Amino acid sequence: MNQSKKEPIKNGKIWIVFGILLALITPWYFPKSFGEILIYGIPLWAVIIIVASILLSAFLSYVIRYHWTIEEENEEEEAKGAN
Amino acid sequence: MDLAFSGWSGVLILLAYGLLMLGIGLVTYLKNRNIHESLDEYYLGGRGLGVMVLFFTFFATQYSGNTVVGYPATAYRQGFEYLVSVPYFIMIIMAYLLFAPRLYAMGKKYKLITPAQWFEKRYKSKAVTILASLLMLYGLGNYLLEQLVAIGQGVSGLTGGTIPYQVGVIFFVVIMLIYGWLGGMRSVAYTDTMQGIALLVGIFMLLIGSIIYFGGLPTSADYMQAYSPEKLGIPDGPGIVNWFSLLVLIGIGAAVYPHAIQRIFAAKNERTLKRSFSRMAWMPFVTAGVVFIIGIIGINAFPGLSTGESEQLVGMMASSIASQNTVFYWAMILLFGGVIAAIVSTADSVLLTFSSIISNDLYGNYINPEASEHKKLLVGKLLGVVAVGILIIIAWFPPATLYQIFILKFELLIQIAPGLILGLYWKRLRSKTVFAGMVAGTLVASVMTIFDLSLLGVASGLWGLLLNTVICIVGSLVATVSAVEENEMKEVIGI
Repeated sequence: MNQSKKEPIKNGKIWIVFGILLALITPWYFPKSFGEILIYGIPLWAVIIIVASILLSAFLSYVIRYHWTIEEENEEEEAKGAN
Repeated sequence: MDLAFSGWSGVLILLAYGLLMLGIGLVTYLKNRNIHESLDEYYLGGRGLGVMVLFFTFFATQYSGNTVVGYPATAYRQGFEYLVSVPYFIMIIMAYLLFAPRLYAMGKKYKLITPAQWFEKRYKSKAVTILASLLMLYGLGNYLLEQLVAIGQGVSGLTGGTIPYQVGVIFFVVIMLIYGWLGGMRSVAYTDTMQGIALLVGIFMLLIGSIIYFGGLPTSADYMQAYSPEKLGIPDGPGIVNWFSLLVLIGIGAAVYPHAIQRIFAAKNERTLKRSFSRMAWMPFVTAGVVFIIGIIGINAFPGLSTGESEQLVGMMASSIASQNTVFYWAMILLFGGVIAAIVSTADSVLLTFSSIISNDLYGNYINPEASEHKKLLVGKLLGVVAVGILIIIAWFPPATLYQIFILKFELLIQIAPGLILGLYWKRLRSKTVFAGMVAGTLVASVMTIFDLSLLGVASGLWGLLLNTVICIVGSLVATVSAVEENEMKEVIGI
């Protein structure tokens, strides 16, 4: 098997980070007062959920870009061959 | 209600929009006349979709009419608790990472056309493939029904009843059938691109208009603090469980939607697929996020609506904004196009996949394997039209709110996930256990949904999925697998 092949599912560390992010986008950890503090009309707890969601999207983009290469090299070679 | 769209301008917009879609279908047809002889060409656009088109077809498929018409209404009723709609769309992309990389490789290796075909390759079992196909057809049928109901409600809501519900449904269904028939996946993906752009522009204009004319989030927050503080509060215990189960249910559920999976096979190459997914990871903020804010602004703009009335919220807000000045009048017309666009573009993708499962898996694999590809295609297309006809009759009498039927389709469709995902990696997984898991999961999810049973506040689809997964894992661990079988499976799933 080609050493440069990377599959996200086989990388345990990635899924630990996803687990932490999943915990952060669920509103179980807020003190009650976070529902009363408003920032531009958005309750504080919701602001934190939004920030955590942005982190999740950023991490997804990173994983897709750097930890997923199965066919890409082959396909690039095929494309070169076709030209 | 202020009927800014009533009269001929509303009708004119609908016609112009429909003609545009037809035009795209016709051009696609004229440019690709040979596609009606090949399942690959018709259902997957010849596996050649580039980043932009692939992204927009994923986008338009995922964000349906329900996102635009139904989500603000739900946000209106639930308040900030419905903020969950933003992260759950991101979860869909995370769920894709569990299987899309390997499934794309398998799609390439075996020239897969439908998700059901993967079941056939992996389990070599008629029972598993047919059960998975039927579950998918049921889920897709229900999903299509939802889109048809939403087309009717959208058109009649946004024209203030000038165009009756039924006429709206028929008009757009006929157009969709024609361009879908003419150009297959290419037509669908190109119209998706146009429809996706219209949708994005439309909802942004609605957001801007809402903020200008009804006041932004702070105004709405003041109203909620005074009259409904629970809409600002942190979700309570059951609310958190519901939140979490929505994240998981919709994340996995929407990712294993057959029409979404099929788009993985249509990607030109892995790089294209990756770039499309990467963009999709950011879209929830500008789609679900924006419609959520619109719903929250609606709490202040149209207070005290009943559940039924709140389903028309977007129509009411758009009409009020349109009546303010000419710029917003035309902007709301764009939104009008965008709403219908979102619905039609989801419906066409669903229908295409529905037909492909019939063409390729049920008819093409089991009923008449000797048939030419041309004939398989024709059978799939015709049965698709018949299914739409039946669904229109059901859509004639729409259910009271959109939300219930939305949950119902997820609960069954999600049952294909263990066989699909575990099967990609685990060579011990056998057809009999996958079959038993799917049957048990489907039964539990259906019975719980039909009799409205709930356990610990977790969605019934998740209980079905849990049982299904446990059966798959335990069953495969207990069963003995010969070394020959194991090696054979290793060959099948190897990359």
